[in-house]
Amino acid sequence: MAGAGYRRTMTDQHPALHLRGLAKRFDTKVAVAGVDLAVPTGSFYGLLGPNGAGKTTTLSMAVGLLRPDAGEARVLGYDVWADPVRAKSLLGVMPDGVRLFDRLSGAELLAYHGLLRGMDPAVVDQRAAELLDVLALTDAGRTLVVDYSAGMKKKIGLACALLHGPRLLVLDEPFEAVDPVSAALIRDILHRYVTGGGTVVFSSHVMEVVERLCSHVAILADGTIKRVGTLTEVRGDRSLEDVFVEVVGGRTATGEELSWLSR
Amino acid sequence: MAVPVSADERPARAVSARHFVRLKLRVLGNNFRGQAWRIALFVVGVLFALWFAAGGFLLLAAPGMTDEPRYALMTAAFGGGVLTLGWLLLPLVFFGVDETLDPARFALLPLSRRTLVTGLFAAALVSVPAVAVMLAVTGLVVTAAALGGWSAALVGAVGVVVGVLVCVAGARAVTSAFATMLRSRRVRDLAAVLLAVLAALLGPLQLLVLGAVRNADWDRLTGVARVVGWTPFGAPWTAGVDMAQGRAGAAVVKLLISVATLGVLLFWWSRSLESAMVGAVSAGPAKAPRGALGGAIAQLFPRAVGWARRDRFGALVARECRYWWRDARRRANLITVAVIGVFVPVMVNLGGVSFSTEAGTSFGDSAADPSPVLVSISMVFVGVLASLTLANQFGFDGSAYAANVVAGVPGRVELRARMAAFSLYVVPILLVISVVVAVVLGRPGWLGVMAGGLFAAYGCGLAINVFISVLGAYSLPETSNPFAMNTGAGVAKSLLTLLSMITSAVAAVPFVVAAALLGDVWLWLALPVGLAYGAGAALLGAYLAGDTLDRRQPELLAAVTPRR
Repeated sequence: MAGAGYRRTMTDQHPALHLRGLAKRFDTKVAVAGVDLAVPTGSFYGLLGPNGAGKTTTLSMAVGLLRPDAGEARVLGYDVWADPVRAKSLLGVMPDGVRLFDRLSGAELLAYHGLLRGMDPAVVDQRAAELLDVLALTDAGRTLVVDYSAGMKKKIGLACALLHGPRLLVLDEPFEAVDPVSAALIRDILHRYVTGGGTVVFSSHVMEVVERLCSHVAILADGTIKRVGTLTEVRGDRSLEDVFVEVVGGRTATGEELSWLSR
Repeated sequence: MAVPVSADERPARAVSARHFVRLKLRVLGNNFRGQAWRIALFVVGVLFALWFAAGGFLLLAAPGMTDEPRYALMTAAFGGGVLTLGWLLLPLVFFGVDETLDPARFALLPLSRRTLVTGLFAAALVSVPAVAVMLAVTGLVVTAAALGGWSAALVGAVGVVVGVLVCVAGARAVTSAFATMLRSRRVRDLAAVLLAVLAALLGPLQLLVLGAVRNADWDRLTGVARVVGWTPFGAPWTAGVDMAQGRAGAAVVKLLISVATLGVLLFWWSRSLESAMVGAVSAGPAKAPRGALGGAIAQLFPRAVGWARRDRFGALVARECRYWWRDARRRANLITVAVIGVFVPVMVNLGGVSFSTEAGTSFGDSAADPSPVLVSISMVFVGVLASLTLANQFGFDGSAYAANVVAGVPGRVELRARMAAFSLYVVPILLVISVVVAVVLGRPGWLGVMAGGLFAAYGCGLAINVFISVLGAYSLPETSNPFAMNTGAGVAKSLLTLLSMITSAVAAVPFVVAAALLGDVWLWLALPVGLAYGAGAALLGAYLAGDTLDRRQPELLAAVTPRR
């Protein structure tokens, strides 16, 4: 892999993902108001936030899908917006709310992604077969991805992101709409990937998953980072959920409203 | 606020068409919010519509205003008939239907089918084209009033209103039924055949009509108009004229015909609407695996792309090839190209040729001889039309295009691959079209001119349209209806279509000029020159537009991602 060369030369001094002052506004609404984040190489990084906090917008800007109004994003030292070819070759991405080329079968989709990444066809064939096997997608055969279940779509999306052996994996809501069995499988694969020297950044609002997997956590709300650090630093001696609700400032039902719900 | 459920036993308030209309207006309004260019486009669209409406009005009102009752029936029957036919066919070919209110969104609401159909129908009436047509056809009322006074005007007005309703209901019913047909994977091949047959039928029909026009026999024309007036295409429009000319019985029967047609169309629409609501997600799993599975790469590449290297370019071509067939929206476009491609040149060039002569002898008389110039022009049109399919090629992909952005595909490779994949389908079609037209015209020697003009225009069209596809992309709704358009996109699409056709045609003009000036030498030179000209234009287009694409990949992705 091309990534092996960078590993020893310059990438080790750099964070796997470094965001500086990323900002984005849509019309009048500020979606992301200046996000700074340094994801250390080899970390398992959880980006937590309520719905609408700007997680997807931040990650989209970090991987080159959405042009930021201000700030910069670097992958292992390479600027995503100034030197996209280098940066993107080190990146594996699984966006959320984005369709795959779902009128291909699983194997076809993997072949497409592999060749788009400039991989050797023989390697693509071998890795695709292996990934489909591990992710239990071989049985789907030639079923088009559009006919997959939600969990299967997540798995094939992950396979596409992993295929070229990226150094940094950015996953948007990888556990959304996934059944427990598939979730366990995805967790397992990600864990192995980090153990093998990779870096994972993923967004989620499922506390248990984040607590179980992550070495580092950042809490994003209203377009800014509220808390950031290792899991133990952020959590302290409380549960992550308590910290999260406190930071985000949720409200609890008093029992007075919605009384018509009970007969 | 704290009212227990049990207290709310009153029947729910009835939902009427008014709610649908208001919903549509609200969606339209929200669409404009903060989007100045959308408002501008809408205004331009309204101006165009008014212009057409004024023209139509003058044309239809002319017999009344100039007091020429002789032409009244003809104008009403032919003008109205063409209008109805246009409403039925144009959404399929060019414009799509405005699915601001997507029927699938109403699937979970407790609405009866009748409520839903009347509501959606009322909402469909609230559109710029419908209002423009309504304005135009008041010309018929003016004619009826001028020739027959108040009673005729009244009957004419009723007829005209029903006529517009028939137009709108017809457009909905046809696109909806066609969408259902294309969605089912089992019938999709049948759909292609059906359309081809339809085109084959339209051709001779056109010849008959044009032949009749050429013979310019007023009595016969009036006869044809009378017949058209009794069909659903002409009935609503001619009722007023009949009343004015003292045929009250005929007028009443025609109104009944029109209302019955409207009923049948609405019923037909409601049937296909139901399947559109239920089958919105997917039409079941794909066909069973066929043949050995092989490696992932072997599966991706269809046999027709076997020649391509197994690299980035090859993968893009292979994926696009698969998509042109597997995606209902793209397939509908391909089929349209094939049908129009045969239909238009045959129609234009055979217009005056009578079929009475024996095969093998020369066709027609000297006045109707097809000329290389006319043939070239029609071929340029077909080539431009074929390339037009790519004008919103990224819109077809929608958010899936993100995969290419993440992989950092260079713009030039991307565009060249897309052109190549589309050409794999279209070039054979264009070749067949040239051969068919050459044979039908009885001029096999002109094959070179035809194919040359076709490929030159196609290449120029590709060059223009890749630019438009990068700069003027817009998102398509994620519905199952391949003809559905987003609100406001209709105007943008029409304007871009017009722009693209004009520029492409201008780029191909040298071919028409050469055909006119060069004479017989051109018959042999046209093909190689045309191929070179087209290929050169297309490659230049991909080269220049690729640069633009490299600079605005994220913007393009945002443009084609449907807003939620």
